[in-house]
Amino acid sequence: MSDDKAATSRRDFLKLASVTAPAVAVVAVTGAGTAEAAGARESGSGGYRRTEHVEKYLESARF
Amino acid sequence: MTLADITHDVVVAEEDVLRADLYDLLAALLAKPPTRDLIDRVAKLDGDDGELGRAVRALTSLARATTEAAAEREFNRLFIGAARGELLPYASYYMTGFLHEKPLAVLRNDMAQRAIERAPNVFEPEDNIASLCEMMAGLILGRFGEPATLAGQKDFFSTHIAPWAGHFFADLEAAKASVFYAPVGAIGRAFMEIEREAFRMGA
Repeated sequence: MSDDKAATSRRDFLKLASVTAPAVAVVAVTGAGTAEAAGARESGSGGYRRTEHVEKYLESARF
Repeated sequence: MTLADITHDVVVAEEDVLRADLYDLLAALLAKPPTRDLIDRVAKLDGDDGELGRAVRALTSLARATTEAAAEREFNRLFIGAARGELLPYASYYMTGFLHEKPLAVLRNDMAQRAIERAPNVFEPEDNIASLCEMMAGLILGRFGEPATLAGQKDFFSTHIAPWAGHFFADLEAAKASVFYAPVGAIGRAFMEIEREAFRMGA
């Protein structure tokens, strides 16, 4: 199968699978804000801060 | 959004914008308890008679009935808990049985190569399902630079998501605490199958 044909059948498949149903798109949520492009902020260590949530998480991870 | 979303002067095809929307929706619902605003927007969705569409309609009905407080209680029972939530939505846990294992290390390596960073106000390990969905949306739309090629998206999906996300979404659908989140699980499970099949065809 050529790349063009593969791309067409993929598009058709996605349409059939209703991923392209316009209704699904109306939510248009812009990102959950958990990840960003590197360098998008000026500073920040990215290290863990020991919040309650992290404590519970680390506990469950048996650290 | 109409025919295409233009990001960084690169046109992203309509079906890919809609895939990104679906990933963003899952990320928003799974990152934190849904706000009233998000619940209201979900309540306006509609779906057809396919598996994905039926799951969307089920979520829509529940969104019309639920309250912000009820949704938050459910989210906390599922993912936070008194000691821990009912589910642990992390790639490491699903792929190895433990948190903070090799899948997280592999992901961090991959994120560094793709110039993606954890946001500064996020304390969770990056291999949680919400972050992975958000990263897929960002790769598709080019939020981290140029949009990723289909082959690049497929690599990320196959390595970090495909091995476990379907199992997680099935667990979410069946979880004891799940009401509003049961159709979120159904949407995720159906969408992961669609993605897997589409990548098999196109990349």
